[in-house]
Amino acid sequence: MLTEREIERYSRQIAFIGEEGQERLKAAHVVLAGAGGLGCPAALYLAVAGLGRLTIIDSDQVEMTNLNRQILHWEQDIGRNKTVSARDKLQAVNPDMVIDDVCEVVTGQNAKALTRQATLIIDALDNFPARYALNLAALVHGIPCIHGAVSGYDGHLTTVIPGETACLQCIFPNPPGGSEFPIIGTTAGIIGLMQAHEAIKFLTGRGTLMKNRLLIWDGRDSSVTFLDLEPDPECTACGNGTQDTGRGGGES
Amino acid sequence: MKITVRAFAQFREVVGEVTVLDLPQRSGLPVLFAALASRSDESRGMLFDDQGAIREHVIFMVNRKRVPRSSLDSIILYEGDEVAIYPPVAGG
Repeated sequence: MLTEREIERYSRQIAFIGEEGQERLKAAHVVLAGAGGLGCPAALYLAVAGLGRLTIIDSDQVEMTNLNRQILHWEQDIGRNKTVSARDKLQAVNPDMVIDDVCEVVTGQNAKALTRQATLIIDALDNFPARYALNLAALVHGIPCIHGAVSGYDGHLTTVIPGETACLQCIFPNPPGGSEFPIIGTTAGIIGLMQAHEAIKFLTGRGTLMKNRLLIWDGRDSSVTFLDLEPDPECTACGNGTQDTGRGGGES
Repeated sequence: MKITVRAFAQFREVVGEVTVLDLPQRSGLPVLFAALASRSDESRGMLFDDQGAIREHVIFMVNRKRVPRSSLDSIILYEGDEVAIYPPVAGG
């Protein structure tokens, strides 16, 4: 049930998604892996949309070089855990949202336990080993996972529905190399917001999800292209392929 | 025969958004990759690793259909085909 205060606070979107849609947002628990360039805008917009519960997972501390894009972390936060820095801002913007902060690296060992209670998972991580581990956990639990990634002016997004769509390992069987990537803040903002938007569509049931489609954002000319995807029957994560032949692996 | 190559992300900066290649009839993807690689060192470096193998993470589509790595050598291209190349990003 929504409170009178919530009905007023969300009146402009209740007019669109109905009280039922708002109640679904309130009842939902999103597990957000990564509180960086993608995770910050995604979390902020889910908080103001009236999400009921958010778990934020990130093992990093805020650094000066994060501030060009990680909009929940400010000068005053340098050196603090990103999960705590993000929680403070999100709690201030929406005191009603329950927030769990988990200062851990996502690995094959902990991913299943961290995501077990989720209604929905958001992959806002910054490296493929951790993304593969999160993908496997989502598949095991049968929980949808919204994947996004960025570099420079480029970004992409897809929504993985276990048993229905291509999974992350089907789409990207081999991880791109490199650990530090150049990035313009708006690229991360655009893809992070698209991830939050996918989450709102999924949770309210209103709209069409990016299922079996890879959205490719090109910031050079602000163009969007879609690549059609399909599950790979030989996928090492969701298909018949065996893990030990997979080069991506699920371990971090 | 004319084959259209659509490049995405960083690869677009190197070879341009759309490239039309004139290839011998019934060429396969390796011939197309070699033609692209011959255009510049940057192009070669983006497609091939130091051992001369196609970089494993790059995604290829022919006529909007994903080509699994196991089929890279067996697919035959035909006049008017479109090949899309996407080197995925990883950051967040």
